Amino acid sequence: MSERTTTLPPPRQLDVIEQDDERMLVSMGPQHPSTHGVLQVLLEISGERITKLVPEIGYLHTGIEKSAENLFWNTATTVIERMDYLAPLSNSLCYFLAVERLLGITDRIPERAQQIRVLLAELTRIASHCVWLGTHGIDVGAISAFFYCFDLRERILDLSEAAGGARMHPNYFRVGGLASDLPVGFLDRLDALLKFFPQRMRELRDLLVENPIFRDRTLGVSRLAAKDAVAWGVTGAPLRASGVAYDVRKAFPYSGYEQYTFDVPTRTEGDAYARFLVRLEEMDQSYRICRQVRERLVAGPIAIDDPKLVAPAKQTIAVSMEALIHHFKLVSEGMRVPAGAVYQPVEGPRGELGYYIVSDGGNRPYRVRTRPASMYNLQVLKHLGVGELIADLVVAIGSLDPVFGEVDR
Amino acid sequence: MRRSDEDARLSEQIHADSIVTERVTPDRLYSRLRELRDAGFTMLLDLGGVDYPDRPDRFEVVYHLLKLPLAPAGVYEIARPERRRILVAVGGEKPTLSSIVDLWPAADWAEREVYDLFGVHFQGHPDLRRIQMPDDWEGHPLRRDYPLRGPARDAAPRPNFSLKGNVGANVPATPRTEVRTHE
Repeated sequence: MSERTTTLPPPRQLDVIEQDDERMLVSMGPQHPSTHGVLQVLLEISGERITKLVPEIGYLHTGIEKSAENLFWNTATTVIERMDYLAPLSNSLCYFLAVERLLGITDRIPERAQQIRVLLAELTRIASHCVWLGTHGIDVGAISAFFYCFDLRERILDLSEAAGGARMHPNYFRVGGLASDLPVGFLDRLDALLKFFPQRMRELRDLLVENPIFRDRTLGVSRLAAKDAVAWGVTGAPLRASGVAYDVRKAFPYSGYEQYTFDVPTRTEGDAYARFLVRLEEMDQSYRICRQVRERLVAGPIAIDDPKLVAPAKQTIAVSMEALIHHFKLVSEGMRVPAGAVYQPVEGPRGELGYYIVSDGGNRPYRVRTRPASMYNLQVLKHLGVGELIADLVVAIGSLDPVFGEVDR
Repeated sequence: MRRSDEDARLSEQIHADSIVTERVTPDRLYSRLRELRDAGFTMLLDLGGVDYPDRPDRFEVVYHLLKLPLAPAGVYEIARPERRRILVAVGGEKPTLSSIVDLWPAADWAEREVYDLFGVHFQGHPDLRRIQMPDDWEGHPLRRDYPLRGPARDAAPRPNFSLKGNVGANVPATPRTEVRTHE
């Protein structure tokens, strides 16, 4: 019996905002171009100053958590990757790390698979920061950087396409390892990208760091103290720009991150310009990790050797009856994951991305709860926006870098 | 329908990670969380709901906390911050928990989401209304008994292709494409 009758409180969004001769109600979004998606912010303004604001989310709710409950463990990644659509591989990495923990195979993942996962996760971070930097630049009137960023991103997406077969949602990771090995010629293209990267970062820095318009629009704007950032659950670059050097890769290393040398860039100013500098520095650190992976990349298997969890290679299906049966069982009925629950975090481009996954021992997740980094980061807008100018609110939203696929899921 | 031994396993809830887990009753929830916050768990990482329809207290709300310094701190000062998990089961006609928005402002949207998608109420929340679904939506989609495609589409008749009823009676069958062979 489903309970379809509920008592709903009346929509109160307009009650909290009053209008009179002094104050005016402005609805910003959900189609405003500077809201990076479908955010609506109800503003009560007095002149150009914001006196109250109510962010409204949910315009992009697609029921991904519900869909994931109805998909096999391995196929759920198709919807999982569409949450944070700018960093699909961070999402699927986190999800599969959680599933592997439930299966108890975390220690058995082959070295090569872990290295390639780290490589692609870091490339994804660079690509995601490219979108953020390009659109944030446009918000504040620095348009040229957009083209430089999207060119770099396109080169990374080419690599993602080469590895997984798709630019945006490669579905490249699997339970126990990867879907397939890197294709022939991938490493040469990677080398070309790594050779090109420092030059592009120099260009981006030349365009923006000392750019007087960019500095005027971001310096000292939407300042967030460390105390408030922690209380509001802010993670990722906004937290580190407020001085708290919390990075999941350092604090709770996963997938072999403890083997790589990298820094956690921090600033103490906590304003939009500090977030910009922290993210730029993060791109350099990701590049450092990518280079280390490239140097150390080992040969070997790309998935664990367990036919109950990993589909056998296509060539063996034609000659081995067992392989055919295992393949058929995996495709038609999926794997079974022992009952239990797990919380697994990773450092996504937007902060701590986590999955709390419950299994009832079946072939589908019982519950997939996401810890959406951008939802918590965006929520702090309620604290940041009051007292700011409308134009600075645009900067604040841009510098928090929300992705609405993840905020609304 | 799940088997009863699976229910038993679910109610035990084995966690595959090393986070210290506590189970509290709804009336102890607020005071326990306040204690933990004052003990240094300054960040509320997440709170989310899980629905177990066969348990006496149907809903379980999961809180994840993190110990972080409130002042600027470097990587080595933070080292390995501690995590903590609080589980609270709640049931009844109108499942209600106390809101913790005044402890952590971060709880605001997360509590609204649990209310919206599971129907768990949070007493003391300043603005408890739907967040993901439209304001006039009925039902709570993440409950296990809520149909995947939604109640409206679930009740709508589906086209029955086995009857071939979508082809009119007088419409002649499409002639098959002629396959030319080499003469």
